[in-house]
Amino acid sequence: MNIDHHSGLSFTEAGGPQIAIKEVTPTTVTFVLSNTDLSVANALRRVMIAEVPTIAIDLVDFELNTTVLADEFIAHRLGLIPIISHQAVHLNYRHECTCSPYCEECSVLFSLDVSCQSENAMSVYSTHLVSSSPAVQPYVDPANEKGVLIAKLRKGQQLHVKAIARKGTGKEHAKWAPCTGVAFEYDPHNKLRHTTYWHEEDARKEWPLSAKAVEEPAPRDDEPFDYKAKPERFYFTVESTGALPPTTIVTQALDVLMRKLAEVHRVLGGIAEAQGEPVVQPTYNL
Amino acid sequence: MSNAPAIHEIYLLPDGVDKVVETKSTKIPNASTFHLEKEDHTLGNLLRAELLRNPKVLFAGYKMPHPLDHSVDLKLQTTADTSPLTVLQEDVNSLMRELGLIKKRFENEMTLHNMQSSDPNGMPYTVDRAYS
Ligand SMILES: [Zn+2]
Repeated sequence: MNIDHHSGLSFTEAGGPQIAIKEVTPTTVTFVLSNTDLSVANALRRVMIAEVPTIAIDLVDFELNTTVLADEFIAHRLGLIPIISHQAVHLNYRHECTCSPYCEECSVLFSLDVSCQSENAMSVYSTHLVSSSPAVQPYVDPANEKGVLIAKLRKGQQLHVKAIARKGTGKEHAKWAPCTGVAFEYDPHNKLRHTTYWHEEDARKEWPLSAKAVEEPAPRDDEPFDYKAKPERFYFTVESTGALPPTTIVTQALDVLMRKLAEVHRVLGGIAEAQGEPVVQPTYNL
Repeated sequence: MSNAPAIHEIYLLPDGVDKVVETKSTKIPNASTFHLEKEDHTLGNLLRAELLRNPKVLFAGYKMPHPLDHSVDLKLQTTADTSPLTVLQEDVNSLMRELGLIKKRFENEMTLHNMQSSDPNGMPYTVDRAYS
């Protein structure tokens, strides 16, 4: 039985945090997280951005580059291409692998071999990249079938590149972040006064209401300020780069956060045992 | 040629370094500082807020001592009938349960959403459609 030691209430049935999914598209998910603390909502937001692993091009070897663009410029553009990262969970991080310099346990090879023979400029897209693994491909938006533009070539120009894609997180480099953005909002009427609206004469006339304002009752004019009130409803929109489905970003972020806490719990248990203090057994399962 | 810190210092715990170290206060009863290595505001603020909701906690606060050191110091004082180490274990435990519940409810909502939404063509809308 799960008992919350603060409230003494059973956690299993209706109580505890609530989720309401409002909209799901191939690249976004909009949901409301409620009946929880701001710190929990914010930790989820931070982990979705910085600690959900994806795959991105990390090492680029130029065999031939006669384009007008410098090697490092193209390498940077290759790094930013979203790559479908379902396989990231099966891949080792570079530091977890004993190989040198890379192997198929920790890397996916991409090659790009293009040359322009026509009189017109040739555009090179992310769909020109050839992957060593069928399951790891550049993400292609259905509305833009050619993919991401990498470079343009004139007649006679060539580009021969070997690129190594690796697993990483947004903490190390933003190219590994699975989301382009996480919209995060609470208290649309600013009842809690966590923000101050700059204004000329009347803040209410000069500032438009948030789209989320319909979700919560507007405060009455004579309503006294409740200094004990805490935020309870958090409005999220997670937008994916395409590397992972948006709902997967949410569930994986929760996994990452739980694994972090489980590790801290395990180490604390070890310290308690060594010091002869009580060891609190886990009542969760990962 | 540069003095930039190695990028893996953000997340890689070096050999022989403990993830958590408890330093008991010599001046205040039932007070400890927990040094969490390779963690940041994500866990620091989450733990601090959870601890402050516990009636056995008299003080809880955290800091990142230096923006280039990837560690967090969590200071905690409890009532005399327990210890900071026990309270921290209990609160990490209840946070885990809360997050587990959020995950379970998110997955339930996803199933429900996939069943309710459908294409104009009558095809059931699945979240993973773009990735098949
Ligand atoms: Zn390897």
